[in-house]
Amino acid sequence: MAEKVTAYRFDRIDETLSQLNREDCAIIAGGTDVMVLHKSRRGVPPKFSKPIVFIDHLSELKQVYQTDKDLHIGACCTYTELLEHPLIPTPIKSAIKTIAAPAIRNRGTVGGNICNASPAGDMLPLLYVYNAKVLLRSVNGDRFVAISDFIQGPRRIQRLHNEIVTEIILPSVLEEGTHVIFEKVGNRNADAIAKVSFAGFMRINKERIEDIRFAFGAVGPTMIRSREIEKKLVGKTLPLADAEIDTIVAEFDKIIRPIDDQRSTAVYRKTVALNLLRYFLSLKQ
Amino acid sequence: MITFTLNGRVVETDAPATVRLLDLIRDDFELIGTKEGCGEGECGACSVFVNNLVQNSCLIPIGSIAGANIQTIEGIIETEQFKILDESYSVAGGVQCGYCIPGMIMASAALLSKNPHPSETEIREGISGNLCRCTGYNMIVDAINLAAQKGDGIWQKK
Ligand SMILES: Cc1cc2nc3c(=O)[nH]c(=O)nc-3n(C[C@H](O)[C@H](O)[C@H](O)COP(=O)(O)OP(=O)(O)OC[C@H]3O[C@@H](n4cnc5c(N)ncnc54)[C@H](O)[C@@H]3O)c2cc1C
Ligand code: FES
Ligand code: FES
Repeated sequence: MAEKVTAYRFDRIDETLSQLNREDCAIIAGGTDVMVLHKSRRGVPPKFSKPIVFIDHLSELKQVYQTDKDLHIGACCTYTELLEHPLIPTPIKSAIKTIAAPAIRNRGTVGGNICNASPAGDMLPLLYVYNAKVLLRSVNGDRFVAISDFIQGPRRIQRLHNEIVTEIILPSVLEEGTHVIFEKVGNRNADAIAKVSFAGFMRINKERIEDIRFAFGAVGPTMIRSREIEKKLVGKTLPLADAEIDTIVAEFDKIIRPIDDQRSTAVYRKTVALNLLRYFLSLKQ
Repeated sequence: MITFTLNGRVVETDAPATVRLLDLIRDDFELIGTKEGCGEGECGACSVFVNNLVQNSCLIPIGSIAGANIQTIEGIIETEQFKILDESYSVAGGVQCGYCIPGMIMASAALLSKNPHPSETEIREGISGNLCRCTGYNMIVDAINLAAQKGDGIWQKK
């Protein structure tokens, strides 16, 4: 017989937040990361050292809406819900289509992907280049944290134990004139964890680069993005000269330090990452 | 107590909230058509419908399905859709050892009810979460194609 565990599933978010304020709990959204992480022997329920709180039924966490040019995405929206939502930008949908298989996409949530903070999390490169903000809520109110500050390392995030991630906000994402791409290199099928992923963002005005951002996944402990290198490209005219592209690629070469693991080798990862960057910089807009 | 609908019947359980839906339906409700392969979301043998969406029951703690509508392979066996799939799988030779088949059928039904005329790529994508160690998938793809043709017009209705 399974051990008794304390589990909460409140109808309302304020009750959920009050409970989190009283005790440290393990939050479960879709559970697709948590249930694998805490898996026990066959037939034995997964073990948790803390009480559990379910959140993925809370309607406040499942909304997608627009304010001005910002897009708000509820943390507990599943991948399938986002794929079917008209406000979600195409590059995000392309990234979602590379994630696992339909059954996982029917359960896994965007908030879970962020809070799991895997170096290979497929939502992350795009959220970095969109300058996404994470909205955290507790009994004390709301706070906003930039995604690049929120994620601190593999499975390490800047969340206090009484907080829930309620929304991911993409500032100015609905503005015209931007060009965004997502590329992922991995296997297909259920084992689709990225070996390398890349997101690029460019806003141009008559051939002139006004804003450019790029981020790599799975080549370091968190997403790799360098604002210094990006800045060097602002104001340049497209198409970039080969020598300019070479310089940028060489600078990135110095800052990415991928690792070997069962999915791929460091050398392969680096080569692919730099090729993806070169491809992005050579795109004729 | 957790209350939910299982194959059209309202049921209750006092099992702990962390128990996997897979174990509950197999051990407590003795619905053993749903299989356990990997226990990690990778093989699809444990596929069920949760509010009409295919999901892996090995990843679902029962505390999260209070009030939900769960259907297992046993719950769809009487439907016209199941009969067409069953027939198509036999005709196309899509069944060998059979272990993956309940999950494959659930994934096939989920795919066809969303997209009654899928392309080959869409079929492969639809069953991409289901591993089969015997058939090499081509016969399964054929089976789904056949089911799409034979079952023209029946997939949209629920
Ligand atoms: C077979 C399989 C294939 C997969 N393939 C991919 C893939 O291709 N790409 C990819 O990126 N991922 C993949 N994943 C990982 C996983 O599905 C995703 O990371 C998913 O988005 C996690 O969401 P969830 O809601 O299931 O998270 P959960 O497991 O519920 O939670 C994950 C973590 O986040 C915390 N958390 C969740 N929501 C919140 C919130 N709102 N506030 C605070 N904390 C929260 C939880 O406490 C937990 O620590 C795969 C997983 C499986 C099992
Ligand atoms: S047993 Fe659930 S996906 Fe393999
Ligand atoms: S028929 Fe044997 S695993 Fe698919």
